[in-house]
Amino acid sequence: MARRKLVANRTPQQVLPYDLDEAKLYRAIYSNRQLEEQMADFWFNHFNVYIDKGADRILTTAYERDAIRPHVFGKFRDLLEATAESPAMLFYLDNWQSVSPDREQAGRRFAKRKGKQARGLNENYARELMELHTLGVDGGYTQKDIIEVARCFTGWTISQPNRGGEFIYNDRVHDKGEKIVLGVKIPAGGGRDDAEKVLDILARHPSTARFISTKLAKKFVADDPPPALIERMAKTLHDTDGDIRAVMSVMLDSKEFFSEGAFRAKVKTPLELVVSAARATNAQVDFAMPLATQIAQLGEPLYRKIEPTGYSSANAEWVNSAALLARMNFALALTANRVAGSKVDAGSFENDPSAVARQVLFHDPTQQTLDSIQKALAQKEPTPEMVVGLVLGSPDFQRR
Amino acid sequence: MTTRRLFLKSSALGMFGVGAAPAWLSRALYAADAPSPRKKILVAIFQRGAVDGLNMVVPFGEKSYYSLRPNLAIPKPDRTENSAIDLDGFFGLHPALGPLKPIYDAGHMAIVQAVGSPDPTRSHFDAQDYMESGTPGRKATSDGWLNRALVAQKDPSPVRAVSLGATLPRAMRGQNEAVAIANLNDFQVKDARGAGTFESMYENSLDQVLNGAGRETFEAVKLMQSIQKQAYTPENAAQYPNSALGQDLKQIARLIKSNVGLEVAFAEMRGWDTHVNEVGARPTQGQLANLLGQFGSALAAFYQDLGDRMADVSVVTMSEFGRTARENGSRGTDHGHANVMFAFGGGIRGGKVHGEWPGLEQEQLYEQRDLQLTTDFRDVLGELVVRHLGNSRVASVFPGYEQPKFRGIVAG
Repeated sequence: MARRKLVANRTPQQVLPYDLDEAKLYRAIYSNRQLEEQMADFWFNHFNVYIDKGADRILTTAYERDAIRPHVFGKFRDLLEATAESPAMLFYLDNWQSVSPDREQAGRRFAKRKGKQARGLNENYARELMELHTLGVDGGYTQKDIIEVARCFTGWTISQPNRGGEFIYNDRVHDKGEKIVLGVKIPAGGGRDDAEKVLDILARHPSTARFISTKLAKKFVADDPPPALIERMAKTLHDTDGDIRAVMSVMLDSKEFFSEGAFRAKVKTPLELVVSAARATNAQVDFAMPLATQIAQLGEPLYRKIEPTGYSSANAEWVNSAALLARMNFALALTANRVAGSKVDAGSFENDPSAVARQVLFHDPTQQTLDSIQKALAQKEPTPEMVVGLVLGSPDFQRR
Repeated sequence: MTTRRLFLKSSALGMFGVGAAPAWLSRALYAADAPSPRKKILVAIFQRGAVDGLNMVVPFGEKSYYSLRPNLAIPKPDRTENSAIDLDGFFGLHPALGPLKPIYDAGHMAIVQAVGSPDPTRSHFDAQDYMESGTPGRKATSDGWLNRALVAQKDPSPVRAVSLGATLPRAMRGQNEAVAIANLNDFQVKDARGAGTFESMYENSLDQVLNGAGRETFEAVKLMQSIQKQAYTPENAAQYPNSALGQDLKQIARLIKSNVGLEVAFAEMRGWDTHVNEVGARPTQGQLANLLGQFGSALAAFYQDLGDRMADVSVVTMSEFGRTARENGSRGTDHGHANVMFAFGGGIRGGKVHGEWPGLEQEQLYEQRDLQLTTDFRDVLGELVVRHLGNSRVASVFPGYEQPKFRGIVAG
């Protein structure tokens, strides 16, 4: 019902993001493969695209489905390749418009066809590919490397982006000269393979192994993960030629992962908070858009991080007054069934507040939280949904 | 001018009723050494994504500006809307920034050209981080310059430092209390029973991080209740645009006029990363023109709304770096170096483009592609911290930058 109202009078292009939001939330809430959903979120965020940038509105669905999801436990090199040649990324970071700066070589026909002005190199993708996708900002590349990588990627473009266009390699606009990337010579005349060589160099670079390992550990272990763990993870990535499943095993089996310092060290992100609340209360979600709206109000709108950095996973992002109040209000709204499309049966919870807390938290609440709830109950007849809401809004539930 | 005591009675305290007044407010009322409630206020606005400063404040007197940007250059002033607005015979405002011209003419808006961070990074993330931490090149700094700009106080107002938005920006993080507010009216627990219980949970929590943030939150919530009771109507016929920045500035104005102890505020505007199609059919149209239109009208509305109160307020704008002097192959610009900053307010020495102009000839460009830096952004912010906010300990606000060179943007 609510959904029908929402999509009435909308163009299909406008409905696409709703479908994506909903699909993501249904999977996150109901999938039995929770780690896979976490990884899909992690890698999408790592290779972020912004759905409101022009053609990305229609390209993002296929991007997540075909470029990200099949590789979340696969080889990093494959994932990198899939994103590099995905129309969504080519559009988002402008590489589809980047052509050889050598106009003569690019050919008159091209310049004429495209009309008025001369076109040329666009550095955007090359820079973010090294800074954000592989080496990391301190990974040892220079401005010169950025230009050389951009030259290698000329010709990687899209046919008709606004009609759901596909990846094509256009040799006519490719820079055919010799390039040197991170000290490696890429001989003239390599065509499409120039960029493949760049991806080989970047995917296997030790800086990449360290950067990816650090980012994974920051997401799953702690904001300041132990260096020894990162070293072991980076070595695993290197030794297995970028096997993501292997590096995840090392991390999840490590003593650091089970150490006291990592225990509940992370504050939930808005997505994690909303999804874990729905899961902990066994909410029945028939229409997930209102939950997506909640996530946006908590500060992390789905598919809408405008910058290529993706969202930070650091606790400091969420420990502030606006975020905390929004979380408390969400908790009370969800359990009072004031979030449209989601139904919580508070009657299914036990009567005793500490039992409720255990049901929701999967461990004992802190004494402070329990005392506060009991004090509230002493003053007034508690409703079960109120107790569940208070637990969901408590400091205890903000951590994972 | 009203006395401080009378003033407090007639504003925040009056709305509370004495019994409900938060401790800091009643203490401020009776303490002999309490600072004046009409503090100086600094509002910092971040243009995230690196705005193209060369099209924001156009060096139309520079020949190479036009040869570097055949498709993008804003035409020389010709008194039409398709040309720059002349400022001083050499620089001109992008025509979309027209609403700011009266502030400049009134002598209340200063422009600094060729200003920025000396760090050579062209990474958005790093450059924003450095500009917000106030320590270019140093990643280990854990707090932000705007937080350090606050002088430690006994019983400070819980809303002395406010950022608009769902998250607290880097510039505001640190030892001093600072709150993020997405919207003043929503800044509350919307269920009275829940509010008390949550307050007790967070106040007693042994989770140090959540405990600290929770305390700050509930103190600020109490103070906000007085503001929330009254509808807000901007004064002087000011019309805020519906954009995010417009609405954020409106809320900052509301906070300022409520006299609840605001000292520093932060707002931001996104979307300046114009690699492709920066301009439309004409150089004065398109993406950048639209963004600047929103930006300029929001700032102008704020200035108008505050009216005489601007005597206490300075606004400063910044962006992480500038963009390439030369246009790129897709009617856009790539990441560059130096940029432009605005400062406006009653105490600003305006009507002038400050800073040395380094020129745009090939040999004058930074790494032969970008505008050279002639003013460190800490010179501008440092001067505002010292001469406007009155915090003389500039070395602790910008550690490692002992001697900022003030440009004379604050009237002495």
